[in-house]
Amino acid sequence: MIEIDHVSQTFQTSSRQDHLALSDISLKIEDRAFVSILGPSGCGKSTLLYIVGGFVNPTQGTARMKGKVIRGPGPDRGPVFQEFALFPWKSVLGNVMYGPRQQGVKHAEADAQSRALIEMVGLRGFEDFYPKELSGGMKQRVALARTLAYHPEVLLMDEPFGALDAHTRTRLQNDLLNIWERDRKTVLFVTHSVDEAVFLSDKVVMMTRSPGRIREIVDINLPRPRRRTDLLLDPRYQKYVVDIERMFDDTGEPGAPS
Amino acid sequence: MISARTLVARAAPWLACLGLLAVWQVGALALKNDSFPTALQALRAVPAIVSDKEAIINILASLRRMSIGFGAAVLVSIPLGLLMGRNRAVASFFNPLLMVVYPVPKAALMPIIMLWIGVGDLSKTLVIFLGVSLPVIYHSFEGARAVEEKMLWSGAAMGLSAAERMLRIVLPAALPEILTGCRTGLVLALITMVTSEMIARQSGAGNILFNALDMGEYEIVYAMIIIIGAMGICFDAMFELMRARLVRWSEPQFDIPLSFS
Repeated sequence: MIEIDHVSQTFQTSSRQDHLALSDISLKIEDRAFVSILGPSGCGKSTLLYIVGGFVNPTQGTARMKGKVIRGPGPDRGPVFQEFALFPWKSVLGNVMYGPRQQGVKHAEADAQSRALIEMVGLRGFEDFYPKELSGGMKQRVALARTLAYHPEVLLMDEPFGALDAHTRTRLQNDLLNIWERDRKTVLFVTHSVDEAVFLSDKVVMMTRSPGRIREIVDINLPRPRRRTDLLLDPRYQKYVVDIERMFDDTGEPGAPS
Repeated sequence: MISARTLVARAAPWLACLGLLAVWQVGALALKNDSFPTALQALRAVPAIVSDKEAIINILASLRRMSIGFGAAVLVSIPLGLLMGRNRAVASFFNPLLMVVYPVPKAALMPIIMLWIGVGDLSKTLVIFLGVSLPVIYHSFEGARAVEEKMLWSGAAMGLSAAERMLRIVLPAALPEILTGCRTGLVLALITMVTSEMIARQSGAGNILFNALDMGEYEIVYAMIIIIGAMGICFDAMFELMRARLVRWSEPQFDIPLSFS
């Protein structure tokens, strides 16, 4: 589904020096896989996601979606950002309906679909609230519903739960998996949390600190549907988490992910 | 049932006006200066002015120039400011120009403009236009610049083109800031309206005021100041009502009242 082919990314820092953020990344993401990109902050993992989203053009190499070179954003790839990026002048319903309306779906139909999605993310009764009236967790639920509403083939999640407290984060992880089980979209999920990556993913792509390179790709062979409480007691889950953390420790990665 | 606290909050601006008038009254009585009438004397002159046909025609002519100047300025400045906020090339072209124009008192341009296009409506309207433009451009620019990149990316992923993102994301997201600029612009429109009429006397509220000053009719001078002040308060209150409706989504829950509305 997604092929990242020898992608490198260089940024110019404010002191006009070239900074290599990503170095020679090649990665294939299969259809309907849940893939996490795991690495310490500053390793360029979000940049990699933005390249797939078409928001950032790689300095070298190409990213392809279904064989076509990605040249810009499109509704086939739906982003969910850590910053929520909701439209503050639109109500919850208005935010969720925005994509379908833009795609030319009739108002009544978009309205009905959006209400169903809002219910699915657990926000029934909040349709007419404005983003400023919602908590962080609720905002991220709206952002997820807003992206799901235009039926992207790939979900691009950029540390979506990074700004939330531990309890809210756990609940959203559970809900995300439940929602994902229904239609198993391809998901590219950026995180710095080992637990989160192992719990959610089929595949964890471990990255090194700057410049970001792929260090290791770990397949997570845990049964689905997964339940957090079961997994926490599962020695296989524990082993994945410990193994990955050890690998980060071994390479002496400063500030290994927590 | 209105609570005592809201009652005080509602009455406060009116009490402030009364207080100002009271200070004026006492001050004028104490100074006993012929060129400084008391508040009551000035207030007594107001009905005569607002019932005089000639004066009404003058004031309406002022208001017409003010609304045309303000309207045209807003229509030009908002798109320009937004473009400057999102496009580096546009910003680096216009910013130095505006930096030169910003500190110049717009009424000071009046004599030059009069030399070019005469003393008629056009030159006065143009001065109002210039006075309103800068704050509106500046606030639109700041508003557009502050729009979160990820919000625009979200729009792009939904299939919005660059032009659509400008109109349907940058414009609404920057609207609170834009309207702050428009509110400043509205007050400046009133100020430049009066000063332009001071320089190019011919018609208008400023014309009545400065003619009365020349004739030594100080009650009328101060009555006109009251009328112009009252117009300013009315415009601001009306604008504030509209603004509050448009950007309800961005208001903090417990706002400090900033106007009469």
